[in-house]
Amino acid sequence: MAEIVAGVACSHVPFLAMHPEFERAGVEQRNRVVAGFEAARQILEEADPDAIVVFSNDHFDRCFYDNLPAFLVGVGEEAAGPPYDTLAVPKARVKVMSELGRFIVDEGLERGVDFALSEDLPLDHAEIVPMSYLTPRWDRAIVPIIVNAFAPPMPSLKRCYDVGAFVRGCVERWPANKRIAFLGTGGISHWVGPPETGRINPEFDRWFLERLVRREAAEVIEKYRSRAALECTAGNGGNEIRDWLAVAGAMPEHLRARVLAYEPVQEWVTGTGVMAWAAA
Amino acid sequence: MSRYQVDKFLRDINHDRALAERWRTESGAVFDRYDLTSDEREALATWHVRKLYDMGANPLLLLLSAFASGKGMREYMGAMNPKE
Repeated sequence: MAEIVAGVACSHVPFLAMHPEFERAGVEQRNRVVAGFEAARQILEEADPDAIVVFSNDHFDRCFYDNLPAFLVGVGEEAAGPPYDTLAVPKARVKVMSELGRFIVDEGLERGVDFALSEDLPLDHAEIVPMSYLTPRWDRAIVPIIVNAFAPPMPSLKRCYDVGAFVRGCVERWPANKRIAFLGTGGISHWVGPPETGRINPEFDRWFLERLVRREAAEVIEKYRSRAALECTAGNGGNEIRDWLAVAGAMPEHLRARVLAYEPVQEWVTGTGVMAWAAA
Repeated sequence: MSRYQVDKFLRDINHDRALAERWRTESGAVFDRYDLTSDEREALATWHVRKLYDMGANPLLLLLSAFASGKGMREYMGAMNPKE
């Protein structure tokens, strides 16, 4: 059966890969963020996964209210993007482990998680920006799973955690001798569009990170059952913690969690974090 | 408010540079493909983002459409927080 070998969760703020926006952040802050991504890259390199299941969210370049999935699995052979020039992030192309994606969809429909699927899912900055740091050779296959985090109504925090746990079960049942890692991207606190745009909440961000390190995701889920409460505290962008919670739900107990970087970067309007789960 | 139609227009601005340019330079005709109320047309035509936000438009779409039409973050934040 397949084995889960590592997990990473990180911000995907586009300014990490856009210039001169990247350089607008203070050099010490951005160096600490980059160091966190580099540590995560090394963890993935050592874990040597055959594929990475990526929980990330859309920003209206793939999904919209005319056809809106809660969870969308990419099952085509490749994924490339971004499909539009809305944000000037680099273009990328990566292989998809479509047999695992299809297994996850089949298992879901059989066992009660009704994933949508796409044979032709583009990438956006949610995948491209973190992967440009974590897998810069673009040589790791992925299984992209898009979570709705910007188009209300969206799946609950609990549902996202539980779907992550479900996908863990799929991987562990998959009759393939493969090493699989997980990556969740987005967050942490950021307001993108509302009147508070530019605000960051480091107190929430650090509390959230600590809950995941201590495997206390249930506290986050309980405290922020209301989307309004979460958005008041962490911004509309804070809804992206759904991707982190999905990875947290997927992590086996033997993988130790730690924070690799956290910086409230005002110039990037985002509480920017990186954490990983790895064999001790 | 026909929120879907407003959000659809904002999404289309992000994806279609020609439409974004028409929004910048034309008045009225650019909205004809969308089923908008007169208030919505007026708010979009004058880029009254705060009014659109208060009417229920998706805030991420509002921000992205500002970028798509050549406006920066500072200009957007000023328009979202007009001084009374």
